[in-house]
Amino acid sequence: MKKVSIASAMAAAISLSATTYVQAQEGSDLDIGRFAIAGYGDVSYVDQEGVNSNVESRFVPIFLFQLSEKIHIESELEFSIGADGETEVVMEYADIHYFLNDNTTITAGKFLLPFGQFGPNLHPSWINKLPSGPGLYGHGGNGSLAPLVPVMSDTGVNIRNSFKIGSSKLFTDFYVVSGPREEEEEIGGEAGEGGHGAIPEVGFEAGKGDNNSDKAFGGRVAYAFLPSIEVGYSFYNGAYSNDATLDYSASAIDFNWIGTYSSVRGEIIETSTDFLDEDDGEIDVFDRGGWYVQGSWQMRQLGKDVLNPFELVLRYSEINDALEGERWTFGVNYWLESSAAIKIAYEDTTLEDGDTDNRVFVQLAFGF
Amino acid sequence: MKNSTIILFSLVGIFFVSSSNAQHASDPSLIAEGAKLYSENCGRCHNARPASDYTKREWSVVMPHMREKAHMTGTESLAVEAFLNSTLTADVRNDTKDGTSQVQRTPQELIAQFGCQGCHVINGDGGNLGPTLDGVIESRGKEFVVKKLRDPKFNNASSAMPQFPMTDADIEAIISFFN
Repeated sequence: MKKVSIASAMAAAISLSATTYVQAQEGSDLDIGRFAIAGYGDVSYVDQEGVNSNVESRFVPIFLFQLSEKIHIESELEFSIGADGETEVVMEYADIHYFLNDNTTITAGKFLLPFGQFGPNLHPSWINKLPSGPGLYGHGGNGSLAPLVPVMSDTGVNIRNSFKIGSSKLFTDFYVVSGPREEEEEIGGEAGEGGHGAIPEVGFEAGKGDNNSDKAFGGRVAYAFLPSIEVGYSFYNGAYSNDATLDYSASAIDFNWIGTYSSVRGEIIETSTDFLDEDDGEIDVFDRGGWYVQGSWQMRQLGKDVLNPFELVLRYSEINDALEGERWTFGVNYWLESSAAIKIAYEDTTLEDGDTDNRVFVQLAFGF
Repeated sequence: MKNSTIILFSLVGIFFVSSSNAQHASDPSLIAEGAKLYSENCGRCHNARPASDYTKREWSVVMPHMREKAHMTGTESLAVEAFLNSTLTADVRNDTKDGTSQVQRTPQELIAQFGCQGCHVINGDGGNLGPTLDGVIESRGKEFVVKKLRDPKFNNASSAMPQFPMTDADIEAIISFFN
């Protein structure tokens, strides 16, 4: 059934592309290039109680190719040093954009799923205002807090649109991807406070081939009053078991407020994972949810030159329903350039069983 | 079947309502519009980056990437690119080939050409990426404003303000306007 939707989407895209005649850069007299390298990287020192302090380093180039005025190709590789000292390379995404018309883009390949704001847009270390991710996400290590979702990247097709409605804008993304897969291991161990069993382990990384014929679909619809406000709703649903009988679904509401000197952003995420109850053989649903809110303030508002490079950041993250916990993160950033900062942060995590986990970060993050 | 139908109809509906007219890069209003769009979109996720971070050719490849990230239309992306390019060369001034201005432009013309209002409030109207320029001479002093126009990073290394191709006469004209 999902195969029908993919075929229908592609057929619609191909047939309707013949009717589109608008291309923004057609006849452009701008100096057009063909290839560029952008990206980011960081060096991080992490001090955590009970764990040897560590220095980690990453280099994440993004290769950009402009094949033609209608076709753009991009790929992001993450180079890092693994625990054994070997260089690890992960392909975060590799996709092709086809600019169907002024408003619409079709993306195919492996891409960051437009789920919430942190995953697709905010996780690069020079953009993320703190050295760690919000507690809801598992990107780059999450300490003792069991995350809700990873920064999701998968193979498939996405249709992106942007519409102007008066002085506001409507953004839409709808995608079909290979979808989640069943992992061998389960995490979580003991039953949660709400009577849940161990958390079913669901994998999201695109692999070679799919573990079932079912595809996942999702999207994000956002409304923006630029430059200050953006509110979005995201959804994601797909079968993850090998026999395609167990589903994973997630939804998120994200908001973003940007001022001249300050910003407030956050996300509320709910997830539902089917699992087979071994006692009665019935399919049950395991729910987890959480939210985070983050505020930042640039001290240049005070008009003192010596304070201009400093930025203060505060974030609160909370996970509910199972493996609960809350986390406060306080940070001070010193901006060396608009895309390079030294970030110092203290993170205080309290788990549902009363355990605490504190981390101190010092990070040099840069975008290029 | 229900999901497939919803997706298909959404796509078809979207395609039918998606169309707009292309705008040529040489359109005089494109740079001012680009400054406004730069202010509105770049700061949504990260510090806005000055044009000098990439060459013109690199921006032409980076902008389609940012078009996707920021949900900009092609026309908007082209406008931002035109604005960034204008700060890298004297294109915006419509100078003669030997680099000399044919006529001294008025402060209003300069402010419009450099897209100042894209990021700053002037006469009560404009963007909010940078601080308001209403009363800036009184609050920060003439010397500060002159230094800022000549070297936007002199007091803030992370400033996104481009180093515009301004002549001394241009700076004097702008100062007189804010006075």
